[in-house]
Amino acid sequence: MQILYLALALFLLVNLGAGMWRVLRGPTAADRMLAGQLFGTTAVAVLLLLAQTTGNVALRDVALVFALLAAVTAVAFVRRAWTEERTNNES
Amino acid sequence: MEALTLLHWTFDILLGLGLLWLGWRVLTSPDLFNAIVLFVAFGLLMALAWVRLDAPDIALAEAAIGAGLTGALLLAAFAKLRTVEKNHDIAGQLEKGKLENRSFQWWPATFLLVVAAGLGHTVLSLPHYATGLSAEVSANLKSSGVSNPVTAVLLNFRGYDTLLEMVVLLLALLGVWSISGSALPREAAPGPILDTLSRLLTPVLILVAAYLLWVGAHAPGGAFQAGAVLGAAGVLLLLSGWRLSSHLAGLPLRIILVAGPVAFVAMAVFTMLTGGQFLEYPRAEAGTLILFLETAATLSIGTTLAALFLGERPKNKREYP
Repeated sequence: MQILYLALALFLLVNLGAGMWRVLRGPTAADRMLAGQLFGTTAVAVLLLLAQTTGNVALRDVALVFALLAAVTAVAFVRRAWTEERTNNES
Repeated sequence: MEALTLLHWTFDILLGLGLLWLGWRVLTSPDLFNAIVLFVAFGLLMALAWVRLDAPDIALAEAAIGAGLTGALLLAAFAKLRTVEKNHDIAGQLEKGKLENRSFQWWPATFLLVVAAGLGHTVLSLPHYATGLSAEVSANLKSSGVSNPVTAVLLNFRGYDTLLEMVVLLLALLGVWSISGSALPREAAPGPILDTLSRLLTPVLILVAAYLLWVGAHAPGGAFQAGAVLGAAGVLLLLSGWRLSSHLAGLPLRIILVAGPVAFVAMAVFTMLTGGQFLEYPRAEAGTLILFLETAATLSIGTTLAALFLGERPKNKREYP
């Protein structure tokens, strides 16, 4: 079972590389930011899997904090950076 | 068992290479926004690396501060930079060479050389082999009042480190307050989605902050992580258009901002007056005292981080809508 969990964690880590391609390619800021958000979700899954393999339950707390704060980053993007860009394009 | 070791190795090697590559991309990215997104991703991988190094306390701090709050802070700074650039056309002036900020400056260079020499000398004069203090910490853990060795070190054995860190945060806020000039352009009212999200998420964030504060006594957690989550709740409220009402923005805000350091200093003076050393808690009440200090510290850290995010000094007069 441990092997399965760790293999899944590794698969998700490789998935981050695929997401990185979207961050670098863009083309818009929203594409990059959403890919970054996807990283957050993937990291939560990786942490939960690692918590299961290592038996260290504190990692679930780390996953919880990640999941909560990723939403705050997304809101900061929409409220600060993104609206800015839209007005820039319009003017 | 072989396959498990192989998987561990592959995971670690990929993580390490990914970190190095991301760090390089963050530093060399010509686009600021791109660099911010990459930096958030760097924080995520860094937290995973701390987990792999068996340091869940640091992973928790990295998750809360590195990947969470720093992203929001950097995005806000990015938005502010763009308005400033649009107003003053700094980019255009830089291209024309009107602002000569690229010229070599002797004083900073000399200063940096002196600092580098001092640091180098210190590193070279360190003993070649040090046993570390972890054995001593675990031997004295019982007398600290908590069972999590990290909290024992941060709040009891080396309490002044935490005190000074909080002072550093306060100094950062003072710096931001004294140089903040341009206010952000007026925000649009939050839509129904953000409204609902902030109403749902803020209580959860506050609850998780309290949980992290409480659990810090015997498991990874503690004042800084709890403060960061509390600060994130403040950031979310600020982003949804909430502002501190004017009669709270003056003295009450400042009292909460300094509550942590003041509680620490008061405790230190009290323990010295009652015959102990600086910040030497009486053993029987150490656990309670640490929880009290951490609560004050959490409130201060959370408020300071949210105030740092706001950037400008909250006005006493009624200037907000």
